[in-house]
Amino acid sequence: MRRNSLFVLTAAVLTMIGGAANADPKPMPDNAKVYIIWPADGQVIPGGKFWVRMGLSNAGVAPAGIEKKFTGHHHILVDTDLPPLDQEVPNDKNHLHYGLGQTEARLELPPGRHTLQLLFADEVHIPHNPPLYSKKITIIVPPERTP
Amino acid sequence: MRALQRLMIVSCAVGVAASAAPARAQAPSDKPVPTQQAATQQAFKRTPAPADAYVYIGWPNDNETVHTTHIKVWFGTRNFGVAPAGTTKPNTGHHHLLIDTPLPPMDQPIPNDKNHQHFGLGQTETFVDLPPGTHTLQILMGDVDHVPHDPPLMSKKITIHVRAAPASAVAEAH
Repeated sequence: MRRNSLFVLTAAVLTMIGGAANADPKPMPDNAKVYIIWPADGQVIPGGKFWVRMGLSNAGVAPAGIEKKFTGHHHILVDTDLPPLDQEVPNDKNHLHYGLGQTEARLELPPGRHTLQLLFADEVHIPHNPPLYSKKITIIVPPERTP
Repeated sequence: MRALQRLMIVSCAVGVAASAAPARAQAPSDKPVPTQQAATQQAFKRTPAPADAYVYIGWPNDNETVHTTHIKVWFGTRNFGVAPAGTTKPNTGHHHLLIDTPLPPMDQPIPNDKNHQHFGLGQTETFVDLPPGTHTLQILMGDVDHVPHDPPLMSKKITIHVRAAPASAVAEAH
């Protein structure tokens, strides 16, 4: 019994290490694309509080957990590169999930240069085939003025 | 373990995906779209929406003059989620684009015709083809059964002026 549970545990750990690499990615039409409607690349945003508007062409938005062909949900990558595209998009402060099916998100970023990129993923957070991600843009939050 | 479960879910879901309709969603079969006569009698249950949710037309602007008859329209949605038709999830819905028409009844499924376009896949933008002239556009969100929420989520009704594409652009297109 004990050996059995050890085997299951080992298998589970190995699967986790391997991620979801074996899962077939969900298809997307070749003409589907995601893009950042706003802000523009190079946009200067005083105060650093803004709405990101997420654009999607030739595909649909569905909340996480909802399985429907040619749909998925948005993720915003902040100050980070694309994660492995055959695994779940990480869920942390650099990988923001919009699993309700949101198409706009309010962000607050400190002064400095920041990068933003959209990555679309399926109902279990795995990017599609072909993967849909936007151009990585840079925005600039100017230093706060000292009185 | 979670990863294992996920893999199982994925493999089940792939099968479902293969049979899913790609484009326009159909009205759920368990609730037939009422006939004109029945529509005046039967009120549908409406799905609540948060007070701060709103939808708007991100493009074109109100009173915009566009020099093309093939017009991109993008749908803005704030404090609310987009879900394909047939999806039951609080605080979500899908867009309908009303073209040259007033708002339909709020306690009925939104009609499905050339003046009431459904985006049941969860699309957040589209292209419409409109003849030259003045047209109105308005977005109305619908729930799992295409019935507007309570309160209803609708954009401002905008007016656009469509002009034929300039001859040079037509020449380029050919």
